[in-house]
Amino acid sequence: MSGMWVANGLSQDLPLGVVMAGAWQGAELAIWRSASGRLSAWNDRCPHRGMRLSHGFVRGETLSCIYHGWAYGTDGACSKIPAHPAMVPPAAIKAEVYQCVEAEGVIWVAPAGSDVDLPDLSGLAAVRSVTVQAGLAEVAHALPGFVCEGAVWRGQLDGAAVALVVQDRGALVRIHALGTGDRVKVSRWLDGMMRLAEQGVLA
Amino acid sequence: MIPQAVLNEWYPVAMIALVGPRPGRQTQLLGSDIAVFLEDGQIVVQGAKGQRLAVTLRYGHVWACPGTPAHDLFPIPEADQPGRRLVDCGVVRVKCSPLRAVENFLDIAHFPFVHTDVLGAEPHTEVGRYEVQIREDSDEVWATKVHFYQPQAAKSAAGGIVTEYMYRVAAPTAAVLYKTCPNQPDAWDVIGIFVQPLTEEFCEVWPWMALFDDTTPQADLIQFQQMIFLQDRSILENQIPRLLPLDPGKEIPTQADLTSIAYRRWLKRKGLTYGAQMVAA
Ligand code: FES
Repeated sequence: MSGMWVANGLSQDLPLGVVMAGAWQGAELAIWRSASGRLSAWNDRCPHRGMRLSHGFVRGETLSCIYHGWAYGTDGACSKIPAHPAMVPPAAIKAEVYQCVEAEGVIWVAPAGSDVDLPDLSGLAAVRSVTVQAGLAEVAHALPGFVCEGAVWRGQLDGAAVALVVQDRGALVRIHALGTGDRVKVSRWLDGMMRLAEQGVLA
Repeated sequence: MIPQAVLNEWYPVAMIALVGPRPGRQTQLLGSDIAVFLEDGQIVVQGAKGQRLAVTLRYGHVWACPGTPAHDLFPIPEADQPGRRLVDCGVVRVKCSPLRAVENFLDIAHFPFVHTDVLGAEPHTEVGRYEVQIREDSDEVWATKVHFYQPQAAKSAAGGIVTEYMYRVAAPTAAVLYKTCPNQPDAWDVIGIFVQPLTEEFCEVWPWMALFDDTTPQADLIQFQQMIFLQDRSILENQIPRLLPLDPGKEIPTQADLTSIAYRRWLKRKGLTYGAQMVAA
């Protein structure tokens, strides 16, 4: 599982110029989209003094740390140190960069250098993400007839294909749902599935 | 095991004005339960085993030493200067290393980003060269000739000015800053932060001021300082790692961080490692 891709939300939930917190296995990440739409995922730790970069702000094609405003370009290299405006930051100052891509409306993250293939979700369209207050076992229980392939659970809803990309966060599970059929129907069904999984926790 | 050097220092544990009779203030110092209360008109700091800690009452606060005091509490001569108004600003609880709280207090480069339009504003972000030394006579860290542009340096400042600062680390978890005073150009405003190390990753910060300012209502002064520290808290609770690294490890300091570098070096040299991370990570 060393270089696997982990889903970190749907493209539609990360607009231009926004940064959010994410995770790859145990590593905490800052995932952001530049003004022109480029996606990046970095270790959530500013190389200067360790502030979480997910608390930072996007300006154009850079993400700035909220503590001292150090700005980093989409390649992770520091491009500006406001305390020393005349200085060109040394190349060694660089955020720890992960691979970050989006396919079929899902944002995926993997460590740099990993060459594992992305799960194939072609033909499906993103519906929405939900957070289930339950463990993976309760979620599995609420999905009879679904087949698990790594992080993706596949099944049918009234004859239309549904895929759920599952992100296990311990006490809760993030589910990013995709489908071929009616989005409203998939969305309603998701609500029911969530209730079932969360009741499973209480039972 | 807490190093003896740590135990032999003074730490703030309460505001004098708020100490009442038993059970008094139930709190923690270096991970141990303590109680601060009034008994026969005296303020007592009592440890978990019933032992009494050494106590000093100064600068509006109760200071306790869990070991054998290595020295007297540091002096702030301005506290006794006629005409100064001494203001206790209450307490801010922060989920961070006490050392991180002090380091942040010594930092100016964050003003435009964390205290935007109050203590700093873009594009005035440059931190010029300043001087830092570990003074051998007093055994304190000092930063002097620090200049910074500020849109509203104090409650009594109307517009933007270049403020001069001096910073001083007087104890492992206490620092004092001196800044040019908008009301009296030849004097310095004095602001302290006294940090109570509850545990290595949890502290209470007591800001304190000695100002030449007769006009600003007390409530406004306190509110101003509280606002500043609440802004700092959002930073301090989100730094990785939680403990202060005494060796840079993954961190990259620049010239603007000279005070922080000296503070970390001073802590390391004196073995004041409570709240510090010794392994580079
Ligand atoms: S910690 Fe990020 S700029 Fe200083």
